Amino acid sequence: MVSTTAALVVALSLIPLLYLLIRAAQKPVNESIALLVRVKTLEVVGTTALLVLMVVLLTGFFGLVIAAGLHFLELPAKPWLVIPAVLPLAIPSYVFTYTWIAFAPGFSGFFAAVLILFLTTLPYVTLASLAGFARVDASQIEVARSLGLTYPKTFFKVVLPQIKTHLSGGLLLAGLYTMSDFGAVSLLNVDTLTVTIQNMYRASYDRTAAAVISLVLIVLSALFVFADENIRRKQQAGVAIKTTTIKSALIKRSSYVATTSALIGVYAVLAIVIPVYVLLSRFFSNTVEISWQLLLQASFSTITVALLGALIALLLSIPLGILLTERSNRFSQFSSRLILIAHALPGVVVGLALVSFGSKLGPIYQSTFLLAFAYSLLFLAKSIASMSASLRAVPTGAKEVAATLGLNRWLVLKNVVTPIAFPGIALGAVLVFLTAMKELPATLMLRPTGFETLATQIWSYAAINRFNEAAPYALILILIAAIPTFILSRPDKSDRNKTNAELVG
Amino acid sequence: MTSVEIKNLDVELGTRKVLDNLSFNIGAGQIAALLGPSGCGKTTLLRAIAGLIQPSAGTIRFDKQLVSLSSLVLPAHKRKIGYVPQEGALFPHLNVAENIAFGVDRTLLTKEQIKQVVKQMLSLTNLTGLENRMPNQLSGGQQTRVALARALAVKPAIILLDEPFSALDAQLRGELRADVIKLLRNQNTTAILVTHDREEALVSADLVALMRQGKIIQQGTPEQVYTAPLSATTAISTGDALVLTAKKLTDGRTDYIFNPIKEAAQIAEVGEVVIRPEEIKISPDLSFGKVSGKITKIDYYGHDAMIVVKVNDQLLQVRIPGPLDYTVGQEVGIDHQGPLRFFATT
Repeated sequence: MVSTTAALVVALSLIPLLYLLIRAAQKPVNESIALLVRVKTLEVVGTTALLVLMVVLLTGFFGLVIAAGLHFLELPAKPWLVIPAVLPLAIPSYVFTYTWIAFAPGFSGFFAAVLILFLTTLPYVTLASLAGFARVDASQIEVARSLGLTYPKTFFKVVLPQIKTHLSGGLLLAGLYTMSDFGAVSLLNVDTLTVTIQNMYRASYDRTAAAVISLVLIVLSALFVFADENIRRKQQAGVAIKTTTIKSALIKRSSYVATTSALIGVYAVLAIVIPVYVLLSRFFSNTVEISWQLLLQASFSTITVALLGALIALLLSIPLGILLTERSNRFSQFSSRLILIAHALPGVVVGLALVSFGSKLGPIYQSTFLLAFAYSLLFLAKSIASMSASLRAVPTGAKEVAATLGLNRWLVLKNVVTPIAFPGIALGAVLVFLTAMKELPATLMLRPTGFETLATQIWSYAAINRFNEAAPYALILILIAAIPTFILSRPDKSDRNKTNAELVG
Repeated sequence: MTSVEIKNLDVELGTRKVLDNLSFNIGAGQIAALLGPSGCGKTTLLRAIAGLIQPSAGTIRFDKQLVSLSSLVLPAHKRKIGYVPQEGALFPHLNVAENIAFGVDRTLLTKEQIKQVVKQMLSLTNLTGLENRMPNQLSGGQQTRVALARALAVKPAIILLDEPFSALDAQLRGELRADVIKLLRNQNTTAILVTHDREEALVSADLVALMRQGKIIQQGTPEQVYTAPLSATTAISTGDALVLTAKKLTDGRTDYIFNPIKEAAQIAEVGEVVIRPEEIKISPDLSFGKVSGKITKIDYYGHDAMIVVKVNDQLLQVRIPGPLDYTVGQEVGIDHQGPLRFFATT
């Protein structure tokens, strides 16, 4: 039963991929090859790859340094410093971009895109690294120190090898985000694969050519997923040793403390202070009358469709979550890999696939449900990760004891599994909600006519440089998104941060 | 061989004073055991010696070298310490050989020499053949051996062992403890063993230090701390003990359950006597000793038995060697045949 439902979910999640394959196959092979090897396509692939590479390198370095500082150093007001390091998660890349364009007119081009996507994706790497550091047994660090290693040597020889999978997970997210980003690169006039696909779709409605280019994007994304999986597989031999994690003394070295504080400070200025300052100043200097009704409507639409998307993702993740927790067989491993590949599909690709697929489904086409379904497919992997992690956290002993006390399978699920796993599952749903709220490219393609979300409104105004009018929408979006982001990174719940960061990572 | 001298050491963690004016000396090549309940500061003392935390006052010397003077401390990586924490803390990403070679100075030794060191350590700790295993493929006992081999490989001045056997089952714990102590003695290494297991402390160490609330309340050889405790508390720390109310009389006699003094006498001090269960003897002959009682419980351990005898509403534990010749409900004569340790209550 669980396997059948899980197979159905996998099939659903593969709809976009299958559709694109079928669609691309409709184009004659020689035409497809000509399209792929033309100079413009190669340039776009090169730009996308270079952009991803630079963002990954920058986030990798700075995310690791900031996370290491937050975990190992005695920083002033330390629990609260995680907020500026993580809060930018609430700000989508297209809002960053438009605030920066408004702040520094002329801000455009490849390096501007590198900066914006670095600011946007840095928290993924920081959070993932923090989760990794929390799992390293502090005794090992003390042993290494007692064996003659300095702090930097201990970090490189003991800590870093153990957090490779976490770091790789964070970098995977940063890379996939960059690859699939549409808003920032489009506003900054950088031709990447997503912009090309969207242009092809909008300009000529040539969905076959767009499907062929989408496959390139999928291959690049899949390469990322496989690289990450490879690192995880290699790491498996060196984990799962039972240890008692002790609290290590925090490092007080002033040069380290100053560097980390400065880095977090600069990041907070670039990623929070400047965008928020621009939004507030634009909001208050706005001379055009704000349509409060439109603002309210867009906020309501955003929350509703994102909630529906999170709910569908939650429901779809139940069978696969259970399968991944209870049965480790070929099917579950294969399914998990397929879901990961589906997760790598950028919003623009899923949007394109569902536009074409949905147009054949009559009433569902151009419905809020199809948009919410697109969200659920886009973020299903996040939901499944939280579902299986939360279910795995339920001690087998507790379930067995409950069974010996006379509870049937249903009652064990209701009285033991659900109460223990619920908080983690709910946080996973919150994460899907947060991400869905900020989603732009799929929303632009799939929203019903006349249906505006905060993201589409910001986009509409920002694309024509009407920054003042975009400001209230952006402020509301950030405000709404900041709440779940704060919940996910609450400094007073440091134990929970581990799990949350893993969900994010 | 290195001696350790700790003088007036204070360690504060946050607002809590964990070590309070603590002084302690260990001779070169000695094995010392720090014995005390959880939270008394044993591990903190060990970490201060290792240089992993900074004392707020006091000094630590290795031989003549001052390694810690208030806020001036020699960093951990320069102290030549072998540290074996609870459960070993092996590096999970390295195999056994790589774990053992981890701290060996690569600037002083060639690859071949490092291989030799690893081989020697593997043989010393009975791990030969396991060099390519990952830590998660080892049993608890093997993990502890690897941790010890890793610590010994750097030829440390001092070895610090923080409850290294606590996660092992009783039989393995005993065997491994004996092996480790033998190894440390053969190497003539100065070692400090943190434990809350009193038997482990007495069996393993040349010097036992009893800790309570950040202080050392008594130190001495295992025999000294066991047979001549400074208080009822230290007596209980090192083994089973009966603490009985008693009165010291002005004529020098002591009035307590085994020596009831009926005639009027002037009391000099009121206090308690501490008696070990093996210092009490019983006999089926009711005329044995000055008092008699009824057996209420027998715990039989094979090599010996703990018998509870009720005397005048007081339950007394008596340890007798096997074989067991008594039954519950039997009346027995009972006497105290050992040193009389009287501690006046203040």
